[in-house]
Amino acid sequence: MSYDIKRSVSLYSYQDEFYNKQLDLEGCLRETAKTGATGVELLAEQMIRKFPLPIEDEAFRETWFGWLKKYGLQPSCYDAFLENRIYDNRTLTLKEQVKMMCRDIRLASMLGFPVLRTLVSTPMDVIEGSLEYAEKMGVKIGLEVHAPFSLNSSWADGYMEMITRTGTKFFGFVPDMGIFCKNIPDVTREKFLRHGAKPECLKIVDDCYAERVAKGFVKIKYDLNLGKANMEYRLANGMNEMMEAVKKAGGGPADLGYAGSSFTYSWSDPQDLIDNIDYIYHVHAKCYNTHEDYVETATAIPEVVEAFKKAGYKGFLSTEYEGGEHLRADFDVDSIEQVRRHQEALRRAIEG
Amino acid sequence: MAGRQFYNPSAFANVVCDGNVVGFSFEIKEQYYRSITLSIVRDIKVVIDGEAIAREDVRLTVNGETFTLEECRTVIDPEYRWEFGEFITVTVMKEGGLAAGKHHIDCHQSIAPSYMPFTIEADCPADFEI
Repeated sequence: MSYDIKRSVSLYSYQDEFYNKQLDLEGCLRETAKTGATGVELLAEQMIRKFPLPIEDEAFRETWFGWLKKYGLQPSCYDAFLENRIYDNRTLTLKEQVKMMCRDIRLASMLGFPVLRTLVSTPMDVIEGSLEYAEKMGVKIGLEVHAPFSLNSSWADGYMEMITRTGTKFFGFVPDMGIFCKNIPDVTREKFLRHGAKPECLKIVDDCYAERVAKGFVKIKYDLNLGKANMEYRLANGMNEMMEAVKKAGGGPADLGYAGSSFTYSWSDPQDLIDNIDYIYHVHAKCYNTHEDYVETATAIPEVVEAFKKAGYKGFLSTEYEGGEHLRADFDVDSIEQVRRHQEALRRAIEG
Repeated sequence: MAGRQFYNPSAFANVVCDGNVVGFSFEIKEQYYRSITLSIVRDIKVVIDGEAIAREDVRLTVNGETFTLEECRTVIDPEYRWEFGEFITVTVMKEGGLAAGKHHIDCHQSIAPSYMPFTIEADCPADFEI
């Protein structure tokens, strides 16, 4: 089947340089272009001051589109955050939430984005209530499928049912490649080692992870109480037994921290991508540590890209570098180099 | 423990009002990855030289306006977002402020993004001199 797999960079990747003021928004776009990527993904709330006011301003939008032209980039995905608990004493009403969602769809459209990423905490009726407006604005809503969530699960079935029932072409999924981790990233393991973890305890956790991958993860259920859903998921995937084994081996806080963090990664069969291809609008190509030889420490780039080729995917794989969170307390983070390497890894897989 | 830069090392100072030292102030960055409205700041706790500061004695100043933590609960205007990577000023009302010399501070921030089933907690002990 013919495919058209394009490369994008989520500016989320450059957050450390932005935070430390080594890069501004234009600098992030310049770095993105240098990697050979043709797409750019934006968290407006991260890099646009006084959000959302500048987006309403024509002069700002002219500058934005001027940068895109200058650097040869096209908008790939706008990452929205539905702040439905913006007040601490109540959750926004359905109408308020739909209004907020429509605001974000409008902002995405004004900056040229064809896809809006929404989070798993977005209630189904808020998505459904925004579909008509999304269609009118030509912006597809993509629900991020991030560990511990997965496609082909009872959690995803609820959304598929809504897609089937409404016949919408404006709602689908944005898989995060953190759901295709063959192992726990090396940067995670090394961080816990620096902070006092014992190699024998980490091995217990690594072995448990390998067993989960081999047996297949027990998938998470749909529940807007995300804390509850997550805990049930962890227990079903052997959390207690693993914690006990780590404690028995003399594990301390760092060892237990590593054990807990193992649940922020998961493994799904790449076949899930093929099965759901009609509803995949964008992809977060999550990465943690891409080595000099262009091998990513955990995410299954070759297998995932192969699945997308087979499925005939036409869209972006957008680098989302997240390894910095395991380094920044102890080292300087070089997101620029990490994104460059990851883009090269993607290029080799796509063109290879 | 905070992973990112937390304090502005050169911003610790006493606060003078009408010739009286009414407290001290310092600048911090949020330990998160996007800007937020002050309404999702659940708490800013300050312990100075072992003394815990009462919640009502803490003020946050953003873009020229100052809010108590209680007031922050309803601050959602874009003008007063706590921007990613930008310092905001924390003022502690404390008669006489801090004596000249060395001090030890521990500031704790608690932020509640709507999509998270838990709050983001970060603190950072530090020594400074006035």
